[in-house]
Amino acid sequence: MAKKLEMNRRRFVGSAAATGLATVMPGRAAWAQSDMELVHWSWLAASDAEVWGKMIDAFNEAHKGKGLQIKMEVIPEEQYVTKVNAAAATGRAPDFGWGTAGVRAKMAADGVIVPLDDLADKAGLDIADFDAFAIKQARYPKYDNGLFMVPMDLMSLQPEVNTDHLKEAGYDPETFPGDGKTMLEWADKMTKRDGDTVTRSGIMMTGSGVQPTVTWGIVAAQMGFQRASEDLKEAAVNPEAGIAAMQYVLDLFDKWKVSTRDVTDRYKAFGTGQGSIFWTGPWTLNGYVDQGLPFRTYLFPNIGGTQKTYFEMGGMEFYKQQDESRYAATMEAVKWLSDNSFLWTTVGRGASPRKSILNRPDYKTAGHPWEIRGAFVDGMSFATEGEIPVLAGPDFTIYSGGNYLAKTLETVWAGLAKPEDVMAQIKDQWQRGLDAG
Amino acid sequence: MADVGAVLRAQLPGTRLALKDVPVWLFGMFFVVLWAAPFVWMVSTSLKPSSQVMTPVVEWLPREVTLENYRNVMKYPIATWAMNSVIVAGVATALCVLFGAMAGYALARLRFPGRNVIFLLFLASIMIPPEVGVVPLLLAMIKVGWASTYQALILPTIANVLAVYIFRQFFLTFPRELEEAAIVDGAGPFKIFFRIALPLARSPAIAATVIVFTLNWNNFLWPLLITFDENMKTLPVGIAAFAPVVGSHTQLEGYATAMAAVTLLCIPSVVLFLALQRYFIEGITTSGLKG
Amino acid sequence: MADAVVVDRAAAAPRHARSLSARGDIEWAGYALVAFFAVPFLIFNVGPVLFGIYVGFTEWGIIGSPQWIGLENYRTALADPWVRVAFVNVMKYALVIVPGVTVLGLLFALFVNQSWPLSAVSRTILFTPNVVSATVIGLIWVWVLDTQFGVLNHYLGLIGIGPIKWLTSVQWSLIGVSIASIWWDMGLAFVLFLAALQNVPRDLYEAADIDGAGRLAKLWHVVLPHIRPTISMVVTLQLISTMRIFSQVYVMTDGGPAGSSSSVIYYIYKTAVQQQRLGFASAVSILLFIAILILTIVQRFVLRETARG
Repeated sequence: MAKKLEMNRRRFVGSAAATGLATVMPGRAAWAQSDMELVHWSWLAASDAEVWGKMIDAFNEAHKGKGLQIKMEVIPEEQYVTKVNAAAATGRAPDFGWGTAGVRAKMAADGVIVPLDDLADKAGLDIADFDAFAIKQARYPKYDNGLFMVPMDLMSLQPEVNTDHLKEAGYDPETFPGDGKTMLEWADKMTKRDGDTVTRSGIMMTGSGVQPTVTWGIVAAQMGFQRASEDLKEAAVNPEAGIAAMQYVLDLFDKWKVSTRDVTDRYKAFGTGQGSIFWTGPWTLNGYVDQGLPFRTYLFPNIGGTQKTYFEMGGMEFYKQQDESRYAATMEAVKWLSDNSFLWTTVGRGASPRKSILNRPDYKTAGHPWEIRGAFVDGMSFATEGEIPVLAGPDFTIYSGGNYLAKTLETVWAGLAKPEDVMAQIKDQWQRGLDAG
Repeated sequence: MADVGAVLRAQLPGTRLALKDVPVWLFGMFFVVLWAAPFVWMVSTSLKPSSQVMTPVVEWLPREVTLENYRNVMKYPIATWAMNSVIVAGVATALCVLFGAMAGYALARLRFPGRNVIFLLFLASIMIPPEVGVVPLLLAMIKVGWASTYQALILPTIANVLAVYIFRQFFLTFPRELEEAAIVDGAGPFKIFFRIALPLARSPAIAATVIVFTLNWNNFLWPLLITFDENMKTLPVGIAAFAPVVGSHTQLEGYATAMAAVTLLCIPSVVLFLALQRYFIEGITTSGLKG
Repeated sequence: MADAVVVDRAAAAPRHARSLSARGDIEWAGYALVAFFAVPFLIFNVGPVLFGIYVGFTEWGIIGSPQWIGLENYRTALADPWVRVAFVNVMKYALVIVPGVTVLGLLFALFVNQSWPLSAVSRTILFTPNVVSATVIGLIWVWVLDTQFGVLNHYLGLIGIGPIKWLTSVQWSLIGVSIASIWWDMGLAFVLFLAALQNVPRDLYEAADIDGAGRLAKLWHVVLPHIRPTISMVVTLQLISTMRIFSQVYVMTDGGPAGSSSSVIYYIYKTAVQQQRLGFASAVSILLFIAILILTIVQRFVLRETARG
């Protein structure tokens, strides 16, 4: 009997000592008695995916032997939400994954993603270092205003322009038009046509999918269209602006003939020089640089009246775990990724939401050259079109090829429906979405 | 007077082709060549350097042959995908053929109530789009923790009614005497099946194997849904990533690489088919004729 | 007296001999043998479908339990314009692909059946597309049908036909996908017809020869009637298969543009996987099943009627 007690006490003291030691020693937290492998899901698919892979590798390298590793799995974007939900429904959700600010309201409502305020606090994540705008976007006011993701980067849509085409048309690559009219002139001069058919687009467009949808979204916003009122009560404010913007896109194809519907793969098309002006996001930088494409990025011109563009914020969201002790480890990992996101925000993708990183003297000089990256960062100042944070959020997003908005607009691009009718349909559907909360 | 008719009807030496049929033959062969053209184009493109792929003039023969596209494709875990396909299709086919043979034999030779109803139900199931059950199955697999596993890929593909059909057709024509000898010796149905019936069913077995294996190898929707990471993908799903509209690798890869990927994807099926052509076609026709 | 004899004989015969020859005895082993196939079939193939049917009457977004809503999904589906587009499209696909496959399959089979030179090679070439996967078909044809650089448009251009936007226009996308599908599926019809042709009895040909029939007449009066069951079967199989078209659509056009090449299964995939509207997707799949059932019955009926006529 006494021996047993003796044993227990020794073991108790031993483990207490170990725990104490663990909390004191750097790099090994109290939970890390045994190795933990965090499961991370990513749907990144453009050239940014490569850089993100490097980030994860760097983490794993730095934490070898420290009991914490990340296993990354890539899920096709269109299946992402379904698979996460399916996994969560059976208690096997991944630990963390890529989220986009504003479109996960349903996941927050269902408890699939968890609020992070407390966790961030405990792990010492410096919230103050984050840009206030970024933090605001990461919150869902309807769900206790909780912070539902750790922002990783801010992306804005800006025009990438093929400098060879610019020079060919006699323009100076140091400048780019700031207004829509001049931009169209430039585009017209850079467009190559065979009779009436466009063989090289002045403005890179596709017949359906993301590109025309996001163009419409940005131009409409510039013209004064609001997808939802500030208080999220009214849908499609100023529908005439929305209709005019639809006409703008149609005119690109049919009136000014600077674009063609025949392109299906916009990334590849721009990369092979089939288009001159391509507004897209910083996730494309890596690939085009690798390819050696001669291009620069400029600020989105003012086409509709006010200079505005689309922005997207990506970040790490945490999925509900059955074993809640995993959250601490996940936060540890995400904190490291965020603290060390210099590579990500200079080579991989958008502007850093962390002031300390943005203000680093080498932020502008490291990574990809500022002339292709700078506009994405500077352009955040007028990037105001984001997501509508309601349950039906995905129906509202302008950067999508397959959602309700994109599919409905497709009928306009294909000439199967009139802009006025489609605008009415969209307004109707969106109103229902807003009413649902 | 020369008998023109006879001349025209005369067959070219060593062939069954009559002179008058030569134009028809040429016409037909033209279309056969046309039918093969896409494959030729695929291989040709795969061997061209990507800068020479999108040319205004169509070049059937590459100006310069390069293997760089294949090297590009190899950067992806093709070998893993291929191995997955082999394991999944192999195991599923083996089980399907075995179970199909057993069921086909029983339905053809043994008497028990409901055997015709059972067979009709199996047949009717072909009309139901399996996509109805795909999402519930996905959820069930995740629930038991089998997401992205071999079991999840294999189990739903074991029960392929074609195998039952092929074996049943064959066993229906089986002469009774062979079994009766065994019965006199006191053998039970299982023994009869394994010792006598199955060994004699070599032809339908090979046919069923080849057909079912090809179907399993090319299976697309289910592996697309149930695989959650790169390493568990099967070959068709992995290579679909090169498709311009759908795929994720579009920014990085061009048509040349896509063609190389697809060529690689073709090779196993085509090789298998060429080696076992006779059985393949026999299998389809024996099941088809009686249908 | 007679009964006693029968009973006696039954009693006298060894039990195992009775198991296969005596009528009225149930051979339980049959169930056992079938079970090996039936069990995975029921669990993994029938079960999920039955559950899917149930889900069709509910609203379910994966998280949480399905909520029973009766026929609501069916009402929504029938009113949904995209559902209508998808169903109209599969009909169009059927109208293009089924005749395409059947006619080409028969023509090629007749050709190869002549055993002219290179018929073995031809047979291989004609069937090979059938053994490769949808991904291969899709990628090859996306490249061949490319509007600017595709081979097909190049040759069409040589004979003065302007570049056709095979996969990027609303008018042609369905045709583009159909071309690829015909190339893929024809092999099966071809092989079935070939076997059927080779089973036409020689004496029928000879009888026609005696009657002085030319080749075409022989074809019409001898061959076609004889292979009618095969024609019917090919049409049925191809019809069912075409109504379930999915992979080519997914890989080649993603259903677009504007849903012009979309199919029912494709739409089900999108609503289930991309929008998590599982109840709705299940209801649409049941609608498809009903459509297939009706069409198959009609088709077989029609072909049988014309046979009698």
